[in-house]
Amino acid sequence: MIGLYAIARGAPKEALGARGERVRIVARRGLEAVCGDPPPPLSADALRAHEATVRRIAEAAEACLPARFGSCAADEDALTSALAAREAELGEALALVRGREQMTLRVHGAPAEVTSAAGPGTRYLEARRRSRALPELDPLRRALSALIRAERVEQHTEPGLLASVYHLIDRGASQAYREVIGSTPLDGVRVTVSGPWPAWSFAPELA
Amino acid sequence: MNKPARFEAEEIIDRADASLLEIIDHVLNKGVMLQGEVILGVAGVDLIYLRLNAMLCAADRLLPRREGK
Repeated sequence: MIGLYAIARGAPKEALGARGERVRIVARRGLEAVCGDPPPPLSADALRAHEATVRRIAEAAEACLPARFGSCAADEDALTSALAAREAELGEALALVRGREQMTLRVHGAPAEVTSAAGPGTRYLEARRRSRALPELDPLRRALSALIRAERVEQHTEPGLLASVYHLIDRGASQAYREVIGSTPLDGVRVTVSGPWPAWSFAPELA
Repeated sequence: MNKPARFEAEEIIDRADASLLEIIDHVLNKGVMLQGEVILGVAGVDLIYLRLNAMLCAADRLLPRREGK
């Protein structure tokens, strides 16, 4: 059993894994699977160690798609055949995240009321469209347009937490990004920011 | 075996500060997953999934700067 930390291009050859093991790279046609010991049991420390390992790899690699905690394969053959099955998708994702990192926004507020005179079906669809597009963030998007390279929006159903928004920015731009967030007033919603992160939300789900 | 893992998951989520919650969300909810064999094998993770978003809300309520609801 081998554990997986990341799929990368230009991955560091000498990196250490989450438990101090030397990582090894299983390469297949330009995709590098950065591997180590099998995943440990779930614990707060294990989660932190996995995150820190992926972060080290991402900072040293040209491009890095983080692997979810617990990712593993029976052996190298199983791993390379899983990679081969999604080669094109992984290649595209690596091209997108190359030289970039992720910022995460949590968007807090109440869902916008749709006060159209239209029927309930139309109102429902309009509410869904709005929550997906989050027009409340448009002032922020305009202010950040020079920094954002890609955006993913994830809706939430919990009261108070409208959505999580993930932005891909060039490496080193996080300070500028935070300054824009801090200086752009928003109407009706409030955002909290974390990052820079490795590009967690821009990795394709292979399952 | 199930019980300790569940207990462990509850401990993690109950004691997590905002920065650990952010780590958990990225490390468990995002990222490349291999075919099926992956997270499903990590006992207790489902419980964390269920409570994570709610906890991210709760963590935000602790922040000093907030607007009225």
